[in-house]
Formats: sequence, structure tokens, C-alpha cells
Amino acid sequence: MLTTDLLITRRRNGGIVPHRLALDVDALELATELIGLFREAVGCRRAELDEMLTAFEGEDIAFKIKRGLAHILENDFCEFETVSPMEPGELRRRVFALGAVGAPSRGRRETLLGKAAAGLAREAGRLVTPEEVADGLFADLPANQVLTAFDAPEPTALLHRYNLAQAQGVFYRAHELTITAHRNTPARYKELFRYVKLFGLMTLIEGDAEHGFTLRVDGPASLFTPSTRYGLAMAKLLPALLHVTKWSLRAGLKPRKREGEEAGDESGRSGRVREDAARKEAWPDTFQMDAKCGLVSHYKAGKEFDSILEEAFVQRWEKLETEWRLEREVDLVPVPGSAIIPDFRVAHPDGRSVLVEIVGFWRPEYLRKKFALLRKSGRKDLVLAVSERLNLDAAGVDLGEWRDEVVWFKGKLDPKAVLERVETVAARLGNGAG
Amino acid sequence: MPRISTLTYDRGTLLLHPPPKGKAWVDHAEWDDRVEKFRLPADRYRPLIEALKAAGTRVDDRARAFTDLPLRFAGGHVPHAHQAEALAAWKAAGRRGVVVLPTGAGKTLVAQLALEATPRSALIVVPTLDLLHQWYAGLRTAFPGTAVGLLGGGSRDLAAPLLVATYVSAAAEAETLGNRYALLIFDEVHHLPAGYTRVIAEYSIAPYRLGLTATPERSDGRDRDLEGLVGPTVYSRAPEELAGGALAPFELVRMPVALSDEERRRYEECVARRNRFLQERKIFLGSLEGWRRFVRASASSPAGRAAMLAHREAKLLAFGTQEKFRVLEELLARHPGRRTLIFTDDTATVYRVAEEFLIPAITHQTPVKERHETLGYFRDGTYPVIVSSRVLNEGVDVPEASVAIVMSGTGARREHIQRLGRILRPVAGKRAVLYEIIAEGTSEEGVSKRRGRR
Repeated sequence: MLTTDLLITRRRNGGIVPHRLALDVDALELATELIGLFREAVGCRRAELDEMLTAFEGEDIAFKIKRGLAHILENDFCEFETVSPMEPGELRRRVFALGAVGAPSRGRRETLLGKAAAGLAREAGRLVTPEEVADGLFADLPANQVLTAFDAPEPTALLHRYNLAQAQGVFYRAHELTITAHRNTPARYKELFRYVKLFGLMTLIEGDAEHGFTLRVDGPASLFTPSTRYGLAMAKLLPALLHVTKWSLRAGLKPRKREGEEAGDESGRSGRVREDAARKEAWPDTFQMDAKCGLVSHYKAGKEFDSILEEAFVQRWEKLETEWRLEREVDLVPVPGSAIIPDFRVAHPDGRSVLVEIVGFWRPEYLRKKFALLRKSGRKDLVLAVSERLNLDAAGVDLGEWRDEVVWFKGKLDPKAVLERVETVAARLGNGAG
Repeated sequence: MPRISTLTYDRGTLLLHPPPKGKAWVDHAEWDDRVEKFRLPADRYRPLIEALKAAGTRVDDRARAFTDLPLRFAGGHVPHAHQAEALAAWKAAGRRGVVVLPTGAGKTLVAQLALEATPRSALIVVPTLDLLHQWYAGLRTAFPGTAVGLLGGGSRDLAAPLLVATYVSAAAEAETLGNRYALLIFDEVHHLPAGYTRVIAEYSIAPYRLGLTATPERSDGRDRDLEGLVGPTVYSRAPEELAGGALAPFELVRMPVALSDEERRRYEECVARRNRFLQERKIFLGSLEGWRRFVRASASSPAGRAAMLAHREAKLLAFGTQEKFRVLEELLARHPGRRTLIFTDDTATVYRVAEEFLIPAITHQTPVKERHETLGYFRDGTYPVIVSSRVLNEGVDVPEASVAIVMSGTGARREHIQRLGRILRPVAGKRAVLYEIIAEGTSEEGVSKRRGRR
């Protein structure tokens, strides 16, 4: 990700648009050159790398773009190490103790470093040069750390990372985030919720499958005052969201100070921008994007199928002669604090549908919680296929009102047994409606 | 039988579930649809507990994770009248509130007295790494035998029952620290109400809070928030109400140095280039607004960018000239054995001096424990000379020295005077002396002249 000073945005129609580099010849050339520069810098100190980068920036007014690309390379693809004959703090203690005798002068430098090197050499049993001592003295300062490894990305990958980082940066000042999600495969939903939890965010899910679900994403204290405190976590969520299809989002942003905005504008027409900013001052800033944004995630994509169990079930269902179709695109079942994400949706041509969830591996506590959540959700159109790995009664789980909805299975899950329950549940829903 | 209501801490907030009996808690809590439970801001902890107690409602408090921390004062400190009064006023206000005392009036001792009087785990928050070091050293001395943790400046002792942290680090960890400390002490508390740092107070359940400052006012008016975040001002004294310590008499010696011919030529070239641009755009650098306009122009036009680069180069030339190093060498030879502090404004020059003269350095990059050790060695004479950048900002206590050498300075007059008054102490028979090495015919000279005027 990028630091705030490297973000470039402009306004369009009252919304914020982050800077994006087109993957054209010019941009690829720039990325290639910069990657080459980092390759050459392996073995150099960070200060030397910075000098090379300053020279590379030159008097180019697009220096921010170059700096942004370099920032990503330096932070995500480089390894820096402290190189010193001994722990620098200890080395300083020794050298400065030697230097504390008599008035300091530059003329004594060589003698003192030689003395210190000789002492170290005696202890280490190897040759230590005065230059090594001089270089090691402040080797722990960030500027003096040595670039020891550079894992060069492809130029296109660097540009993707940059474009993603510019978009992520917009969220730094987000105090609310609403994601609208449509019917989708469960693995995609599950991954999204995993990341929401991982980054300490909370969600409130509302809506239905027809109009889409809205996920309001924020943090614990957002309840009392809108806060940009969770903006960084939202920024980290974006690459995970990019693995999901069929969504759009809208983020409310804290207004930015005027100076920062103008300094951050790369258009070179600051006069016009200033006018725009003045005119739109009363408007709250918003940022919108959707699944078709074209940004590329660098997070690893989750597997389409959660388990072999489910994959095998799909294959067996296809051999079944029935009008009920097994769909991978499911409805979310909102429950307090989260959502139940079924594995399948079973739909009939006449419009009826039932959700199916496979519970292959479970602990009693997990199952108890699941039933409690289902009860809260008030949904009755769900069939649970539960593995008989454990005896439920012995585990202290009371099926209670859910007896009709549960299918037991050992090893293979029989599609016929599931279909039977689906029809029971569907019939009961039909009666309820009529 | 209904379950007993439980109070838990959740990342800067409190959850109260199931709802307790009675109505004592209703005003404090809000319904949270996301989890279908009642939630409260963490800083409502104390009023909630007090309200529940008054109504006789039982709640299982699993939120508090703070511990007892008995402290034994090393003794020897007899508080001044104003310090004892400040502590009494704070205690009388229910151990919540702000104490306003002028710089140098011993705010630290007030805090140490409050720590001793409140034997619970405590978090002390300070604005700078210099102060982090100073509090660390002060607490080690005041409460020997008590482990002092640090958060910030490369340290991360999150579990310590007595913890000193910078505002920035404490804000970053606010969700984690929030229920571990019963007493919060904010040094230079006027920093707290800023947007990013106020969560240290908001996300904390600490029932006891003490704010210290010489200047509670903020230009953005947010000082009004202090009452909610820390408590009301419980004690206030102006400088003239206290006996002021006279500044040590010292001699001020200006050491003008000339740039080399090559440096001079390059310097003038750079300044001319910058000035041409500024004149064309009618920008005047004297004001903050002028500077902002310059920064903006440098990001939006090639000419502006070139002018900014020229400006930077000129500044570097003026700061780091070779001649200054020669003069420094001469001055160090003039006072052998005298306790000497060297100051520069920029970190790069500190490290150049340290590397070329092999003198211990202290900057914002120095690990706090190493800084503590280095100043200790300076105090006991093991290191007669140290070089530093900006160590002497407001409120920081530095060991006495009789010679100071300022390699370059900023135009902040108040800071300058404070520096001189604080560091310099005469040694037997000899006046303290302050040297200011400035490059002749550069903008630095103007800065120094401005300061010299009364």
C-alpha cells in the first residue's frame, strides 16, 4: 500500500477517482526501468538506493508516480538487513569509549577505528578491517541497511499493484463502507467474510436475494461516532473483495483539507481544481466502485469448492433424474454479527427454492451455535446435511425443532436423501403460504 | 432463572449482555443491530459501574483487566506546595482532571505522586521520544524495583503494568490497551484531542485520569474536549505565581564561517534559480501560506519542481559546509574535558559529526534504552561530548553541560532561549559558553540575527 503523500486522486461528478496507470507502452517501460534500477541496487545501502531513485525522478513533475512505484517495490519486494561485524549498539559502546579519551578530532579517526578493529579481530579470530568497523557503526539505521534481496515482479504485476494501492488509499479516510452483493457461489462469500473477520471489521447484512444483500462494514466503535479508524482495515479488505464477483461498493469519506487535495492533483490545472473544490465543498465525498473495476488482486484466490465432499455431491446430483436443479449461487442468510452461507441452492422450475448446507466436520459447540443462529434467522427453507461422525445426542446437541430439516450421512452424501428432505421442506413452505 | 448480565470489553467498546435489570444503565448503552446486544463507549465504564452500584444492580464485570500495582517511592522528594496542592485537588475531583503548571514547575513529580496514591496498573502517554526517555528514566529512579515498560521508539512491552508510551503508538494499540490500565496519565495533554490520538482516552475504561500541561489551549478549539476525555481543569498556576529559576548566565559567541568558493558559487546559483521562480509567481516564503503555495507549485509545474530542488540544495549547502566542521574541530580542541553538547537541526549532520569525530549521537532514531544509557554516560563523564538533534524540545531534561555548540538553528526564538537556559551551567571559575556556527551570507544568518534581537 502507499503512504498518504503518494496518493493521487481527482474528483468527478461529486465522487473521488483514484489515479490509475494504463498498462500502455510508456507505463510498462517506466516499470521495467524502475525494476532494473532495483536489481542494480542489490548490495547497496538504502541511502544509496534513495539517491539512485532521486536521480531517476529528476525534475519530472510526475515524480509522485515514480515514487509510488518505488515505494511498492521497496516495501513489498525488497529485503533489507543490518550488516555489521557485531551488534551495532555494542560496537558503538566500544568505539565511543575509545573516542571519549582526549579532545575529539577527525585526525584521530583512523587510529581509533584501527584500535577497535584490532580488538574485534582478536575476539573473533578473523580479520576485521577499520572500514568494516566504520560501516558497521550505524548499520542499524534504516538509511544504512543493505538491500540484500530483491524479488523482482513482472512489470505488469507492479502496475497492477500500484493501481490497486491507489484505490486502497482512498479508504484511508473512509468512515463507512456499504457493499452490495448479489447471489453468488458460497466459496466467494465465505472468503469475503473470512477477511472481514481477519481485519477486525464488523458487518450488518440486510436485504434478500432478489434485490441483493447490503453489507454495511465498519468497526465496534462506529456505533457511536463515524470514524476513519477502520479505514486501513477496509483498504486491506479490497484485494479480498476483488476475488468476489457481482458486487458494488460505496464508501463515505471524511472531507480532506484543501491544500492536500491540490498538492495531490497531478493534472497541472490547479486553478480549475481549486474552483471545483470550492464549489463542491458542501458535498460529502464518496467513492464508488464495482466488480468490473478491472483492478487485480495480489491475494491468493480461494478454492471454488470448499471440500471434496461438496464436489463429489455435485457430480452425483447431476446423475439424478429430477426437475430440481442444484445451483452453486446461493442466498445469504443474515444472522446477528454475520451470515450463514449455505453451500447450495436447490431450485425448481416453478420458482420454489431451498438452501442446502453440508456440515461434514463439526464440534458440538459449533453445531449448537449453528442451530441457535438458524433459530434467530427465522428461516425455514434450509436443509442441513450432517455427518454422523459423532452421535448428536451423546454430544449434547438437541435437534429440537430441526428434525425435519436434517439429513444424516456416513461417508458419501446420498443426493436422493437430500432431495427427499428438500421436497418435504418445499411442500411445507407451500402449505404455509397457502 | 435469568442469566446475570455480563460486561465485556470489545476492541474499544463495552458489551452489556443480557441487559441487566433496572434502568440505571439505559442512558449509557446503545442497541447494536450488528450483534444484537447493547454496546457502550469504553469510557462510559466508570459512570456505568457507579450507576449500577447506586441502583444495587448486579453485573458480572469481565471487562476490567487492570491489576494492582503497589509502588514504593524511593523517597527524598519533598513536593513543593503547588505540587502537593495539585495532587490534593486531583484526588478531591475523584482522580479525574487536568493540572496546568508552567514548564519547569515539576509536573513529573505530580504524576509520580498520583501514581503512588493510585496503586493500580498505569499508562503514561507522552508526545515525543525524548519525553519517553525522560519519563522512563524518572520512573526507574522514583520507583526502583518496579519494571517500567515502553511502547514506541522501537520498544513494545505491551504487557507491562507500568507502561510509558508515545501518543502515536498508544493510539495504534488503543483497542488492545483499553482495558488493561486503571490510571491514564497524559503528559502535554493538549496533544490528546487530535483526531488520531483521542481514541487513547475514548477506547479506555480507565476510571482514573490525569492530564498535565503548561498550555491547555489548542488553536482548533478542541481543548474543550479535554473535560470529556480526561476531566475538568482541577488546578492551575501561571508562571508568575511560582518562584522562577533564573537562567544561568552565559556567553554567546557567534562563529561565522564562509562557504568555499565552489560551494558559494553553487549556493548563489540555487538561490537565484529559486528566487526567479518565486518572483514570477509572486510567492513570498516568509509566511506559512507562501510556503504552502511553493509546495503546491512544485508538484504542478516543471519550473516549480526545479525551483524546489534548487531550494533544497541551497539549504543542504548552508547546513553542511566543510568549513563548519573545521570550526567545530577547533572549538572542541579549545575546551578539552569540558562537558559539551553539540546540536544540529538535521539528523544527517548529527550522523556526519558522529562518524567523523566518533562522538556518541542521539537522534529520534536512537533506541530509547540506548539514549538512556548514553545520557547516563554523559552525566557521569564517561562521554564528555555528545551530538544531538532537537533533543532539547520543550519539557525535556538534559544533563548539565558548560559548553554548547549549535551547528545550525531554526528561527524559533522561544525554543532557542529555553535551550540555553536549560543546558548551560557554569563550572568552577568559568562561564558557560554557547557557540553558534553559522554560514555567512546564507539564510541561516538571518535566522540567527533575528534571534539575537530582543
